[in-house]
Amino acid sequence: MRGTTRTVAVAVMSAAALLAAGCGSGDSDGGTSSEGKAGGEITIRGCNPENPLIPSNTTETCGGNIIDAFAAKLVHYNAEDAKPEMDIAESIETTDNQNFTVKLKSGYKFQDGTEVKAKNFVDAWNYAAAGKNAQASGYFMEPIEGYGDTQCTGTAEDPCTDGPAKSETMTGLAVVDDHTFTIKTTEKVSNLPVRLGYSAFSPLPDSFFKDPKAFGEKPIGAGPYQVESWTKNQSVVLKKFADYSGKFGGNLDTITFKIYQDSDAAYNDVIANQLDITDEIPTSAMIDDKYKSDLPDRNAQKETGVIQTVTFAPPAVDPAYKDPKVRQAISMAINREEIIKQIFNNTRVPATGWVSPVVDGYKADQCGEYCTFDAAKAKAQLEAAGGFSTPPITLSYNADASHKDWTEATCNSIKNALGVDCQAVGVVDFKTFRGQIRGREMKGMFRTGWQMDYPSIENFLAPIFKTGASSNDGDYSNPAFDKKLEEAAAATDSAESNKLYQEAEAMLATDFPAIPMWYGKTTMGWSDKVTNVKITAFGTIDLPSLTLK
Amino acid sequence: MGTYIIRRVLQMIPVLIGATFLIFVMVFALPGDPTDGKCGERPCSPAYIAEFKKEYNLNDNVFLRYAKYTGIWPTEQGGLLQGNLGKNYNGYKVVDDLKERYPTTAKLALVAIVFEVVIGIAAGVLTGVRKGGFLDNLVLVSTLVVISIPIFVIGALGQYFLGVKAGLFPVTVGSNPSFYELLLPGMVLGSLSIAYVSRLTRTNLVENLRADYVRTAIAKGLTRRRAVGVHALRNSLIPVVTFVGYDFGGLLGGAIVTERIFNIQGVGNYIYRGILNRDGMAVVGAVTVLVFVYLVVNLIVDLLYGVLDPRISHD
Repeated sequence: MRGTTRTVAVAVMSAAALLAAGCGSGDSDGGTSSEGKAGGEITIRGCNPENPLIPSNTTETCGGNIIDAFAAKLVHYNAEDAKPEMDIAESIETTDNQNFTVKLKSGYKFQDGTEVKAKNFVDAWNYAAAGKNAQASGYFMEPIEGYGDTQCTGTAEDPCTDGPAKSETMTGLAVVDDHTFTIKTTEKVSNLPVRLGYSAFSPLPDSFFKDPKAFGEKPIGAGPYQVESWTKNQSVVLKKFADYSGKFGGNLDTITFKIYQDSDAAYNDVIANQLDITDEIPTSAMIDDKYKSDLPDRNAQKETGVIQTVTFAPPAVDPAYKDPKVRQAISMAINREEIIKQIFNNTRVPATGWVSPVVDGYKADQCGEYCTFDAAKAKAQLEAAGGFSTPPITLSYNADASHKDWTEATCNSIKNALGVDCQAVGVVDFKTFRGQIRGREMKGMFRTGWQMDYPSIENFLAPIFKTGASSNDGDYSNPAFDKKLEEAAAATDSAESNKLYQEAEAMLATDFPAIPMWYGKTTMGWSDKVTNVKITAFGTIDLPSLTLK
Repeated sequence: MGTYIIRRVLQMIPVLIGATFLIFVMVFALPGDPTDGKCGERPCSPAYIAEFKKEYNLNDNVFLRYAKYTGIWPTEQGGLLQGNLGKNYNGYKVVDDLKERYPTTAKLALVAIVFEVVIGIAAGVLTGVRKGGFLDNLVLVSTLVVISIPIFVIGALGQYFLGVKAGLFPVTVGSNPSFYELLLPGMVLGSLSIAYVSRLTRTNLVENLRADYVRTAIAKGLTRRRAVGVHALRNSLIPVVTFVGYDFGGLLGGAIVTERIFNIQGVGNYIYRGILNRDGMAVVGAVTVLVFVYLVVNLIVDLLYGVLDPRISHD
């Protein structure tokens, strides 16, 4: 996942969606697009990739956008609806959700000319998992059998020197032939094929393992665009990869990401036609929909796989919020629609559950009446719980991004409805904020956001609410919920699996570990030079469909 | 003069060491773990954290770390004394980052300084010689207005009207900017100082014009132009030079607000982002260079005093 604000430049990138469908392959003269023409070059707003561009070690949006362009994966997410489609994979088959056979299409080439073979996947995934490589996205390999043995076992100070890992490779991966490999998972994972579109699962060419450092500066993938040059803090230039043989090729010859520090600057450049696309409209232009008159017919808005929630501190840290009735009362006291209108200029959608509507398996209204504003009911619910024991209610946020306004508005709404004092508490910055949450020092309520890694209902439930999960900030633990997730992961029929996940989600309404606030939307604007600008479910620009007018 | 310079340069060494040590201690005393938030809203893996802490010596105490940073304690890659500013938390060499950014910041500072010196002193002289006239009042009022408007307002308005609407200047600045590209940001940056420079010049000039030596000069038969331009102005410039020197040093530290508005990849934003990301190495490296720049600029200012007023002797 990544954080929901760019200012904080957080976590994991959007998954593969950039390479999205669009129309036709790059070789087809662009005839598939009604008005656009093939070729040409454009400039897009970018931000500076923080780390060397290694797919398994990039956890932030800026680098993620570039990786999505140069790396092809087994699975590709459709630009419109994020449905997974086979990309490098010919087929991914399983009968038991635990043993998967992956067959690759032949003919895919890396940008250094070598062919994409089964071993490129197996080697890349083993590299990502191995503890000694300390890859930030290594945990995505966790479901694969033998992952545990690849982790270092020493003391916390320097685990890899004290206790080297038992193994450098995962037993769950095996190469069958050049175009076939098998994956065995520790537990059943029904949505593994969907996950494989995430960029940490990109194949890596043999040249990577010889010199990972050089790769990070000029990465090589099998995607439709290749990195031509990367001038730190200035620009990243992508060129169309001539030998790309997949279905998701691009139209433009050259795409330049120009790096901006400030969305206002980028926006002004778009108005002056000095920049072609900005994927972020500044707040100043959102007011009264100013961007719509600045860029008439040259803007778009789309719901993306992002949810903002408010999580309660674990009961062991702050017992005042332990009673689910108290939690439900607070949730019912929040007037989401009014806050979205007043603070966000309608660029959010009130949440009715814990899962984003853009993913497969979404069911509306899972939160039901608890996510509907009703001051009287909220008050009654709080009284039923015996009132709030230790006022004030607190809602913490990281003050280095624009969260002050909405947290204060939320608190006001709670205060007015429940008659209990509520304070929005700013924590100096994102690092300190996350540090306090990680150390279980933060009391009361705090903001949490989730950006999906891959478009599946599971991604909104298991990593956040499963007992002991990596992002379970509220230490929520419910054996029945965990069991439901396990059953869903074992179900071989995807409809059945989704139904079980939905049943698990429904349990959250009873226990209420977090308050769903709203789903995210992305707004973009572009110059009068480009057309066919599509926003993916990940909130990124679909590069392959872009054309010049 | 020569001994004076050598003495000043030698004095720089303890100042540099003291300043970098203070900065080092302060930056790393900030609360918060640099690995928090590095992996988003989930904690980083223990292996990742361990590798990170080892790479940046975060397990050592602050004195040992400083010793390693400066190179007093030998490490394989060397330290400050060997010209190595270390790597920032994203694994890039701080030296390389600064090499890219310093030319841009220096260019911008130069544009701003030229702008403020030329216009500021001209305005100061014109108003100083005609004290109380229409021009004097006009400059007084307009400098008051400029001083009271925050720089981000001037910047945003300038960008919108002169850049976006009128198209006279580029809206933002690209990589390796030309002086033309930096003209608008430089003017915005220099606008505040123009006000100070013109007022400083005017006040001092007015005072000096009443001095005996100016009366003598005119009595001797010198033209008014020469009496004002050479005798009075030269003496009036000493406080102005002090101010401009200080200002130039400040500008070389980067102008965070202006750099953001015009998307200039300069030093100011580098330090700002370093602080936000708890990137101690980036901050300490950039500030160390900054301290050095300040010291050099101050030395130059002190030497200029002697040029302007021969009575100030450095021997």
